[in-house]
This record gives sequence, structure tokens and C-alpha cells, in this order.
Amino acid sequence: MKHTMKHIADFLAPPSGRRTVAAAGIGLLAGLALIACVSDEPLRAWLILLSGAMPELRQGADGGWHWQRLVRFGTVLEDTVNLTLLGLAVLIPFRARQFALGADGQLFLGALAGAVVGLAWPGPGWMALPLAAIAALLAGGLLGGATGVLKWRYGANEMVVSLMLNLIAIECYRLAITRWLRDPDAGFPATPFLPPAASFTPWIPDTGVGPMLLAAPLAVLAVALLLGRTTLGYEIRVSGAAPAFALQAGLPVGRATVLSMALGGALAGLAGFHIGHAVLGRLPVDLAPGLGFEGLLVALLARHQPRAILGAAFFYAWLRAGGQAMERGSDVSREIALVVQALVIVLVMAERWPWPRRWLFWRAA
Amino acid sequence: MNPSPLRLELRGVGKRYPNGVLANDGIDLQLARGEIHALIGENGAGKSTLIKMLYGLEQPSSGAIVLDGRAVAFDSPAQAIRAGIGLVPQHVQLVPSFSVARNVTLGAEPARWGWLNHGAAARAVGELARRFGLAADPDALAATLSLGQQQRVEILKALYRGADLLLLDEPGAVLSPDEAHALFTALRTLADAGMTILLITHKIADVLDVADRYTVLRAGRVVAHGASSEASAPGLAAHIVGRPLAPAQRPAPMPAGDVLLRVRGLRRATGVAECLDGIDLDVAAGEILGIAGVEGNGQGLLARALATGVGVALVPEDRLHDGVAPTLSIAENAIASTYDAAPLSRHGWLQPDAIDAATRAMIDEFGVVAAGPDQPIGALSGGNMQKIVLARALAGQPRVLVACQPTRGVDIGAARFLRQRLLALRAQGAAIVLVSADLDEILELSDRIAVMFRGAIVGHFRGEGQDARALAGYMTGARRQDGASARIDAPFAAAGQEAA
Repeated sequence: MKHTMKHIADFLAPPSGRRTVAAAGIGLLAGLALIACVSDEPLRAWLILLSGAMPELRQGADGGWHWQRLVRFGTVLEDTVNLTLLGLAVLIPFRARQFALGADGQLFLGALAGAVVGLAWPGPGWMALPLAAIAALLAGGLLGGATGVLKWRYGANEMVVSLMLNLIAIECYRLAITRWLRDPDAGFPATPFLPPAASFTPWIPDTGVGPMLLAAPLAVLAVALLLGRTTLGYEIRVSGAAPAFALQAGLPVGRATVLSMALGGALAGLAGFHIGHAVLGRLPVDLAPGLGFEGLLVALLARHQPRAILGAAFFYAWLRAGGQAMERGSDVSREIALVVQALVIVLVMAERWPWPRRWLFWRAA
Repeated sequence: MNPSPLRLELRGVGKRYPNGVLANDGIDLQLARGEIHALIGENGAGKSTLIKMLYGLEQPSSGAIVLDGRAVAFDSPAQAIRAGIGLVPQHVQLVPSFSVARNVTLGAEPARWGWLNHGAAARAVGELARRFGLAADPDALAATLSLGQQQRVEILKALYRGADLLLLDEPGAVLSPDEAHALFTALRTLADAGMTILLITHKIADVLDVADRYTVLRAGRVVAHGASSEASAPGLAAHIVGRPLAPAQRPAPMPAGDVLLRVRGLRRATGVAECLDGIDLDVAAGEILGIAGVEGNGQGLLARALATGVGVALVPEDRLHDGVAPTLSIAENAIASTYDAAPLSRHGWLQPDAIDAATRAMIDEFGVVAAGPDQPIGALSGGNMQKIVLARALAGQPRVLVACQPTRGVDIGAARFLRQRLLALRAQGAAIVLVSADLDEILELSDRIAVMFRGAIVGHFRGEGQDARALAGYMTGARRQDGASARIDAPFAAAGQEAA
């Protein structure tokens, strides 16, 4: 019982968390300095960057209170789910010391597999969503697993393989959308809308925020349990932390390598399912490219700790929405938001900072 | 010119690290010009810290370092080098693809208008080698040199930079007895030529064989010092560990048991030096077979080959490489060979309480000094880390154990403990292969000894009452026993048998 409490406490407030929060704060302050260089009203622009993603409670003409800007906040939550799943997708292989960058391709194939099942499923409606999700998990997982098998059996560098498989997967996706799944009535190449049985009812109107919002914390919990509490997670961590030691101790390093990539791929596939079935409701020929790499950044921001992924993803999504709001509401372009993001990541990743620790952790000292 | 006869003097030098650890406390040390001084102590006694301060890598927090009667303060190794101090590191750091001359002159090459003058470098190095009697071919590639030769190149490197005060960090640790002897002869030549030498070691024999005077460090303090000619091995050992040690007790011979490990005609080829060329060996229950030899003659390869067998546990040679996962906790390291079964895991789920309990039991049983099971194992000292490695190897109750360099870099107290555990395992009827570069360890523990040279067994000896000198010729390849093998019924090498 004592252990359980301790574990929960450690889980919620890891000692490394303070450092990350400090890095984020400094990065944001540096952003203010940067904005001051390019803007006539830097403080206002900066405040929009910070608060632009926040929904607003306003009194309407009828005297009642209404939430404003909920759609924008909805995008933040949608992005949080995507980035959480993608961050975990990068994190699991990384913990086995595999630098697999295949989340993009796995996301596309996952979305495609989910959409095919959603469009074609003839059976009872209640099974449509679970089946589509399983299809997405399998598609992403197989692609990730293939990368792992190529690495383990044939020594093919996982970074090269995953980047090349990204190209193949994305072009397969586009081919399938334009050639076989295209909705002739749509004005642009896209699939038909998914049937209601294969869609989620949004909790916030006009957004994709629905039951899939729960997938993010559940996935984090599942990955934290996997890595911390299962024998497979132990094998993955030891293989990553000291490969020679793992081999010597007789751990199944190959299996751990392949499974880490397959599990990561499955989560990226689930992100594709989320985009298709919860956010867009149909699949256009072009999904936002580079989402997989944002997952990599989120994983870096979380310093490869599963429990920190959710916060990192939310921060990232928040800043992105804030950047868009800043562009609309001030004379500063959203690239500044990207620079701030980059600064924060650099600060978080830095092993040592040029100023003494006690400045940052005066409370801890 | 120098009024002080002392080349180096430490006056009450102390070092307290920011985390509060007092690594050195009021160290007094005096080195006369032309003296070989041995600094001896266990791991963690503060030898490394002292060397770092002398070489400018750390700064003392109290006391003074005095060179030729003048107090100095080094902020960097560059200043120490300018003051004539040269460090010969424990692990040689040569560029394998460079010649001896280029290695020696690296960073201080003779150059003209930005162009390196290799001819001048080779001449200068050749001249230096002749002057100090350190035989070395300036044009040979570093990769082709033996460890002993490489160490000489490191010494030349220090001399080339004008050092006349040499700090040698555990120089004998990786050398064969002959090479170590050659090195010590060279050191004596250097001292006679006026060099001052500080020899850091944890081997008592080094103090007695080569040093003029010695200083014993324990827990950061000087606990004894004096002239080597008046020192005795038991006396030094008592100072080093802080209590008298009972003389090593040779275990009673065990009745011959069944052969648990049988190897015939084992061959492996990985490179020129490291190969196995038809190894035959047996190890019986309750027996320790010692594998002696100069490092790099196939012992490591043999150990890894043997350890692939079912029910064979291994204490790996390179602790930090494949003996532990340094960034993971003690518990995560301790369970690596047993995590996959109850009680440590059930149906693929780890059982944290069982793991914690098992690790605590291991820590208690092996006397590991650690904060607790969750501490990263990389934070432990070498001896404590090795205790966990051995504990893990024994956790599976192996019938055959292959122990590679089990006490390398481990302090005397922990080494004794580890050896006792090996003997206890032997008494329980396990078959043990002991691979060690430490000949004393082989002689102390082994029932039978096989000497390896270039991937083959070249001599087979009885362990009891064996003399190191009898093995030395076999270790360097000068002697060879015809048809030598380590089969249980193989004949032992006859004394005085000449090279085939």
C-alpha cells in the first residue's frame, strides 16, 4: 500500500517535471523578448499567444453566459490526442534504443485501414467502430513490426527503413483514396463521409472532441504500465539502456526490438483512426504531413517519460493554437510560436544549463 | 638551482566535493627528485582524486601543492603539463592508426608553417626512446603494439612534453608478469635519470618490487608511509583495509566429482589476435579451473563461448559494458536472469514487492553498500557493482559458472568476499571456470590451471603449491607443453620442459 501511494505520487509529480516546467517558462519568456523585436505591441501579442487557445465565457445579448471559441479549444484537444498517441508511438521504440521515424506512414495506413472498415462493414453497427480501431492498430502495428523485423533479421537501419516506408505508405494511401475510395460527389479527392455507425458523437459541437479524448490518458496509462510493470516492458527498457548487457543476460532482445516498434506503430495507427473517425469524418487525399515528427518532438519534450507525454502534447497543441490566434489577432506571425516551441525543446533537452540550478530550484534547495 | 630537494610536496591537501563527500583529507606527501613513490589504497580511498588535483583536473579545497618549493595552483591539465607533470593513464589512449611517433607528438607536433614535420617527429621520438631506454619503434603503428609497448608510448608522450614528474595510474593492471617487470625496470632507469615517479596502485607487490617509498591512503587520509625496504606485505594489507587480514586459506581439495562441463576441439575466429584454436577442457563438480594468460589471448572469447551453454552462468569481463546496465536501478539489474518466472513476475506482470524483497535480500547477503534497490547501479563502486553481478549470476543456482576477471578494479575487501563466494559455490558442487589476468588470484583459487597463448592451451598445471614463475614462460609463449589440454585426465606440464 505504501508502495502504491509512492508510485502514484511519483507518477503525478516526477522530480524531473519541475525542470521541464522551468524550461517551458523560460522558453515562453524568451518568446516575449523575440516578439518585442518584431511587434509594435509585443505584450498584447504575447498574451494572445498564451491565452488564445483558451475558451472564453461571455455574457450574450440575451443575458445568458456562453462559451466562446470552443471550436478553437476543440482543436487543441484534438491535437492533444493525436500528439499523445504519436508521442507514445515514438517513445516506445526509443526506449528500446530504436530511432524509428515511421509514425507518419503508420498514421496514414492506420487511417486508411480504419476508413476501409468503416465504409465497408456490412454487419451490426455497434461493431463498426471497434473493428475500425482494431484495423487501424493492426495496420500501424504491422508496418512498425516490419521495420523491426528488417532491423533485427537483416540489420537494416531502422531510421532509413522507417523513412522509406513512410514514403511508400503515404503514396499507397493517396493511391487508395484517389483510385478506389474517392467520393465522386466531393469536389476534391476524398472518401465519402463515414457512416454514423462508424463515427463518434462529438461532445463539443463542430469539433472532433468526443469519446476518443479518453484514448489519450488511457494510452499513456497503458504505456506506463507496459514499460514499468510488464516483463515485455522490462525487456524493452533493458535492451535500450544496455544492449550488450541484455544480450549477455539472455534477454530476448530481438523480440523486444520488434515488439517495441510494432506497439509504437499500433499507437500511430490509432492516431490515424482518431483523425479519420473522430476529427474529419472522412479522409482527404492529403492529411497534415509531418504529424509523426511532431510526435517525436513531443516525446523529446516529455524526455521519453510516458507520464509526461500528455502534458507535453497539450502544451504543444496549446502553443500551436495560440500561435494561430496570435497571427490573426496581432502583427506577429505564427512562426514565432514555432520558435518558442523549438526553444522550449532545446532547453528541456539540455543536460546542463549555463545558470546555477539553485536559481531554478530555489524552492527545492 | 632548485633549493628544495623535494620535487613535489603536498601539505594538508583536502578535497571536499560539492555534494559533501570528503575525498581527500589533510594529505601530506613528499617526493624527492629521482624517487619512485607508490601511492596505494583501495578503490575509493581517494587515489584518483589526488591524481586529478595534481594534474589540474580538480582543485584542492584546502592545503597546498608545492613544486620545487613553490606553491602552485592548477586550473587545467595544460598548466600541470607546463609545470613538468605528466600523466600516464590507466587505460592507454593511443590513436590505433597512427604511428608511435605521431602518437607521441600528438598535439605538440614539430611543424613548419603549419605543415607537420613527420621526419623530425620520428627522429625526436627515437632519440627520446634511446635516451631513457624505452625501446620503441617510432614508425610502428600503435595498433600493432602489445599493451606493455603501448604503455611505454604513453610514458614517451609525457616525456616528450617535458615532464619530469610522472604520475602512473595503475600501470601494471593490464600487463603480463614479464611486461610488468620490463615496465618497472624502465621506471627505475627513468628515476636514475632524475625523473620523479608517483605510482598509483592497489597491488602490494608493486610497492615492494619497484618503489623506494610508499604512502597508504584509506578513506581519504594517509594512514601509513615509509620506505619500501622496511615494509611487509601483511603489514601493508592491514593498513590498506584497516584491519589485519588472515592469510588466504587454500581450500581443501574436493573429492573429484562428475565432469559438468566438457569442451572438445572448440574453435572460433574473430580476428588475428583473438581466436580459439582447438580448446579441450573439462571442469568437474566442486572444481575451479583457472585460465591464466596475458590478456587478449582468447580467454575472453573462450568465456563467452562457454557461457552460451545451458545452465552456465557468466560473470562478464567488462562490467560496465555487459555486466550491468549502468543507468538502470540495482533492482532492475539484479533480476535480469530471473525476472521471467515467479515470484518476480506472473503472467508477464512484474511483481514490484517481490522484486524489491529479492533485491534487498541480495544486497544484505552480499554486503552491498547502497542506498536501496532503486539506486542506479552505475552510482555504486566497482566492488559493490561486482557483488550484484555475482549475486545475479548465482541467483539462478547455476551448476557451471564462468567468472571473468571477477575482482578486476575491485578493492581488497570486496575481492576477498567475492573469492570466498566462489569457493563457497565450489563447495556446493558447482563447476567453475575462473578467467583472470591476476595470476595471484588464479594461484589462490584454482584446483587446476590452464595457460592460454594465442587461442590455444599451452600448459596444464596443478593448482596447489604452484609458483607464478613456473607459469610465466608459458604465458608469453616462450614455453609450451606438447599436446597440452585441460581435460580432467590430461597430464600436467613437467617442470623444466623446453619449448617445442
